[in-house]
Amino acid sequence: MNVRSQISMVFHLDKCIGCHTCSIACKNIWTDRNGTEYMWWNNVETKPGTGYPTAWEDQNKYNGGWAADGSRLRLKSTSKTQTVFNIFHNPSMPTMDDYYEPWTYDYQHLFNAPEGPDQPTARPISMVTGEPINVESGPNWDDDLSGSPIYAANDPNLAGLSEEEKAQLSAIERLVFFYFPRICNHCLNPACVASCPSGALYKRGEDGIVLLDQTRCRAWRACISACPYKKVFFNWSTGKSEKCILCFPRVETGQAPACFHSCVGRIRYLGVLLYDAGGIERMARLPEEELVEAQRSLVLDPTDPQVIAAARKSGIHDAVIESAQRSPVYKFVKEWKLALPPHVEFRTFPMLFYVPPLAPVMANRGATGVENVSQDLFHDIDTARVPMRFLANLFGAGHEGKVRYTLRKQKAVRWYRRALTVGDVGVDLAERMLREADSNVEEAEAIYRLTSLCTVDDRYVIPPMYREEAIEMMRDPLEHKQGVGFGLLRGPRRGM
Amino acid sequence: MKGVLHVAPLAVLVLAGPAMGQDAADFFRQNCVSCHTIGGGRLSGPDLKNVTQRQDRAWLVQFIQNPQAAMDRGDPIALRLREEARGVVMPRIVGMDQARAEALLNMIDAESKLEKSQFVGLQISDQPFTPADIAQGRRIFTGDRPLAGGGPACISCHTIRGLGGLGGGFLAPDLTKVFERMGSRASLASWLLAPATPGMQATFRQRAFTSEEILPLVALFEDTGRGGGQDARVGNFVFLLFGLGGAAAALVAFGFAWRWRFKAVRAPMVEAGRRVRGLV
Repeated sequence: MNVRSQISMVFHLDKCIGCHTCSIACKNIWTDRNGTEYMWWNNVETKPGTGYPTAWEDQNKYNGGWAADGSRLRLKSTSKTQTVFNIFHNPSMPTMDDYYEPWTYDYQHLFNAPEGPDQPTARPISMVTGEPINVESGPNWDDDLSGSPIYAANDPNLAGLSEEEKAQLSAIERLVFFYFPRICNHCLNPACVASCPSGALYKRGEDGIVLLDQTRCRAWRACISACPYKKVFFNWSTGKSEKCILCFPRVETGQAPACFHSCVGRIRYLGVLLYDAGGIERMARLPEEELVEAQRSLVLDPTDPQVIAAARKSGIHDAVIESAQRSPVYKFVKEWKLALPPHVEFRTFPMLFYVPPLAPVMANRGATGVENVSQDLFHDIDTARVPMRFLANLFGAGHEGKVRYTLRKQKAVRWYRRALTVGDVGVDLAERMLREADSNVEEAEAIYRLTSLCTVDDRYVIPPMYREEAIEMMRDPLEHKQGVGFGLLRGPRRGM
Repeated sequence: MKGVLHVAPLAVLVLAGPAMGQDAADFFRQNCVSCHTIGGGRLSGPDLKNVTQRQDRAWLVQFIQNPQAAMDRGDPIALRLREEARGVVMPRIVGMDQARAEALLNMIDAESKLEKSQFVGLQISDQPFTPADIAQGRRIFTGDRPLAGGGPACISCHTIRGLGGLGGGFLAPDLTKVFERMGSRASLASWLLAPATPGMQATFRQRAFTSEEILPLVALFEDTGRGGGQDARVGNFVFLLFGLGGAAAALVAFGFAWRWRFKAVRAPMVEAGRRVRGLV
């Protein structure tokens, strides 16, 4: 057992209100520089929709992620030989149009425009060329189902849905969507790291954050093709690729990443998971329907004495192990099995998990008002507005079992709380539902607390990073003691 | 040991004496016969038979070392020579110095006294060449008939009018008018016997032309120089068209071979969606 620790995340989609505050927080801190205008390390997509870059989930087009060919894993986008022949041209890269051409507005025109019969407008100006452009797409162009006959209709997750189901999705009484916030998943088996010809990408040993060394990057852009989530971006100004760094300078000082910190809906959870690094390759080769369970089996129980002993042997600090025992992510992923990895069929084992949304109950407008379709306990899950098939494509590699399990449990918890607070449902009935959903009263209470009453400290259990000890391996921390300090990186500007 | 050191320079002097004559003849063969004969008549440059009796020896030694300098000085004899050679100035020979010039003049003196010098040059009759000679020359030029010495065919670097197709090479000068430049059959033939330019010298020093090859080549150059064969510019134009056509064909082939390559996702998707809804 080769135990490692990883800072992992859970996003609770039922709580996301689609406000994009996380995206803006990230933008303001990290990607407001020259060359990064088009990058959104954090973005919020509307589902159904094609997202950013357009249709990123369609690996028939983008060739991201891994394929399991018999006994071995292989990158879909490249190989050792192909890297040589395609070194100057990676064939499966999104174009600028697939992200969007970043723009600003010529506000000066509002003041300088000559007098005329019409109001002057601030015209859009491309931030790449500086020329006026006709804006045709943006990073959340299909937000809230805008342009849905084209964008939402082309969501790759609609594969396998019947024409009737697809038509129902856009029927006016049944119209439904939910939000899908995305950051880098800091995968266990990252395709970007495997694809880099320069070895610039690496997964940090102590916390599993996937980083890109700006001095080693040689702009081959193999990572951009290889990442199936399209979360590595190329900075055209510096000529280096960049990606989400999980705000490691904040995490190292005990603060949640900016997007977590700013989350209005409090949908985000962060904590340590201990995992078995030795089993990753074997698990990533399993058939698609077993992948969710395989990834779960890689996550180890931090209270198991054997795991603790192995973790200590791997140099994981006791405080990190203790932090893992309190991790909200462990509860959602392993204990309650509520959170699922997105598109596990890409075989990268994303360490950002999602609690699938419990979509509203399907209802019809009847003679006496709105009538629920069903009074059956669990029946509404299968007749919910978001088709089970759609959620299964997104969170279960096309298999419904795991998604149905988490939705049933969530629904049982809701009915249980309804029995307690509203009282129009019998407690006996609620407890029977919990049993049928593989849960019990204690667990329901814990799920309810962590979902609804959670404080900042419940949501973000950030382990001490011991950077000072990690740094000791590379350099002497007392190197500058009794010296004259670090010197000035840039001289102060003083004077009149 | 000490004795050997003293004797060594002396030995060199003694050995140098007789060797110098043979050396001068070789040097003359390599560098001079393309323009000069001894008793064979004028080529590009004058016949050098009895030259030391016609001109002051000291002037000759100086002129041989640097002909251009004499022209620049405005030396009247040098200017007359240039006029006689129709503007061709004798090049400065690599490796020429005072000793070598003296040795050459000695050798020329000795050769001038002979009944028939070894440097009398090629003697070519003034009879008109037959079409067969010209055809043979063309075969040699194009490489249909390989050179006996093993040298590369003329066409690999030169072109002449009337080759047809893509013409010859453009690495070296166009030889269509070479006969006019050289002035006579004799000078052209002599030049081919010992080519004097660096490129030709490097290529043909070890693989000399035989006289059976020189004659048809001279015939060919005389014919083209007089306007035989068709215009070479047609060849250049065909060459250009061939290049453009080839490039276009290659691009079409690449486009076909990689026709399923990744181009874009959003734009085609939106385009298709609009078409389905009849918006375009």
